[in-house]
Amino acid sequence: MTNSSTDVIQKDAPMSPPPAVEEPVQRRKRRRRGSTEPRAPFRTYHLFFYLLLGSIVVSTASAFAWVFNVSMKTNREFLATSPWELAEGWRWENYANAWSGANIGAYFGNSLVVTLTATAVGVAVSVVAAYPLARVQFRFSGVVLAVFLMGLMIPWMVTFAPLYNLMQDFGLLDSRIGLILVYATYNLPFNVFVLTGFMKTLPYELEEAAAIDGASPTRTFFSVILPLMGPGVASVAIISFLQNWNEFFYALLLIHTPEKMTLPLGLFQLGQAANYGTNWVTLFAGMMMTVVPVLLAFALLQKQITKGLTVGALKG
Amino acid sequence: MLRKAQRRIIVPFLLPAFALLALFFLYPLFRTIDLSLNEFSRTGTMTFVGTDQYERLVGDPDFASSLKNTFLLTIIGALMLFPPAITIAWALSHRLRGERFFRFFVFAPVVLSVAVVSIMWKFLYHPTLGLINPTLEGLGLGALAKTWLGDPATALAAVTFVSVWHGIGIWVVLLCAGFERLPTDVLEAARIDGAGEGRILFSIMLPMLADLLRMLLVLWVVQSFQAFAFIYIMTGGGPFGSTETVGTLMYRVAFDQADFGYAAAMGVVLVVLMLVLAKVLNKVMKRDELQY
Repeated sequence: MTNSSTDVIQKDAPMSPPPAVEEPVQRRKRRRRGSTEPRAPFRTYHLFFYLLLGSIVVSTASAFAWVFNVSMKTNREFLATSPWELAEGWRWENYANAWSGANIGAYFGNSLVVTLTATAVGVAVSVVAAYPLARVQFRFSGVVLAVFLMGLMIPWMVTFAPLYNLMQDFGLLDSRIGLILVYATYNLPFNVFVLTGFMKTLPYELEEAAAIDGASPTRTFFSVILPLMGPGVASVAIISFLQNWNEFFYALLLIHTPEKMTLPLGLFQLGQAANYGTNWVTLFAGMMMTVVPVLLAFALLQKQITKGLTVGALKG
Repeated sequence: MLRKAQRRIIVPFLLPAFALLALFFLYPLFRTIDLSLNEFSRTGTMTFVGTDQYERLVGDPDFASSLKNTFLLTIIGALMLFPPAITIAWALSHRLRGERFFRFFVFAPVVLSVAVVSIMWKFLYHPTLGLINPTLEGLGLGALAKTWLGDPATALAAVTFVSVWHGIGIWVVLLCAGFERLPTDVLEAARIDGAGEGRILFSIMLPMLADLLRMLLVLWVVQSFQAFAFIYIMTGGGPFGSTETVGTLMYRVAFDQADFGYAAAMGVVLVVLMLVLAKVLNKVMKRDELQY
């Protein structure tokens, strides 16, 4: 087959060299992000890519630079000077005001407690639930899994009114524990989806060998399966953490007292106040304080976060 | 033996997760359907009214306009999202220098809270204090300056743009993973045959990614039908209802007018419409499955 086709090509155009010979055919294997392979040599059309990506970098960076610059101004400066004008001095006191005066510190603490607990509960509960769903054959396993995964398709927010009443009946309204339970539940469908998929890739001989050695199924799960789940658990933990940290709707719905508010809700309240009052620079300082730690964490965990995302959404 | 022993762990292992799901998702979901068949009086008593709420929805201009806005947001957003996301993912698949740096900036907004992004953009859009209009004026394009969020003609597009700006990194990452999984020998064969890069993208790469693109489009529909936080924070549904979607209208009806039954009916209609649309998209865009 290959012979005949090359024959045809040679007969048709015996003198013209194949078009792509200016460089040896690159046998690029499946690429892995962050590998040490050399970059592709520059081609003219790459200029278009660099311009495109460069403009994204410039516009995003200038938006953040602008926020930072305003956070260093005084309110009068903010109103009187042009948006591009640099702040006259370093007004770090805006940050101190935001942290204690505008309660950003308290919101930060609330967010940290709620997010960490909810993520831990959500991941623990779903990794345990994923085990029978992925590895034990029982009659309605498909149905139960489908019920969990239904949460990926149904818009959760439509159930807010009954949820509000339910929380009221349980006395969980306006409490951090209520918010934690809701966040943990909200994480379940995605977690179960990723973790069952991950568990199915493990060899079934693991359980058989453990059973022959006399381990109970519970013991097998905790001593054999769970230690192998590291990457999957890390994935869902990071994604859940981000989701819970940034969640706005349920916080708005369930939390009313300022002392219990999470960071997104607190900033929203501060933003509403800035609309009527004059305290813009504090709001900008508050925004910077919430943005910087998250961006730093992302810079460190970039690879795990983006990988965790693709593990869940694409097979393989 | 093993099977029998394993069966004993099913219930205890599933119970905690299932209890949470049942309590905070399944029960409220069924209650929503139940609520939508009832009417609330100011005193808080509930009376069964059958499909009255749904009949009320049919003639409600506010609901019609919120539904229209929801669809508009979905369509405008898809147009704002997919061409750039595909282009960016395509660019990133070329092993450029500084790839990690570019990836960081494309994805960074994703990790930021919707609240922060909304507040930031609300100020960026500000006609005089913001960044966009003064920059346009500085570039001599003052004619393009607008009161972005204050003008019913631009408000919905402006809000949609922010939600696309915030989330585009996710779509780029997913598309990049799709590009990476394409078989390199096919692409090389095309290059050897003299196909240009653009031709390769449109005639080979995108058709091979049809399945992924279909999935991403359905995901976008699911997501944009729930649009709430961006709108609530940036415009609150205004000006003149031009950004009111089903999500924000539902919230307002429930908490400003205490009309829980009516809000629940809106929610049920939204879910049904979304499932139908997702189903139709899946059907229309279905291709023969490619194996590679």
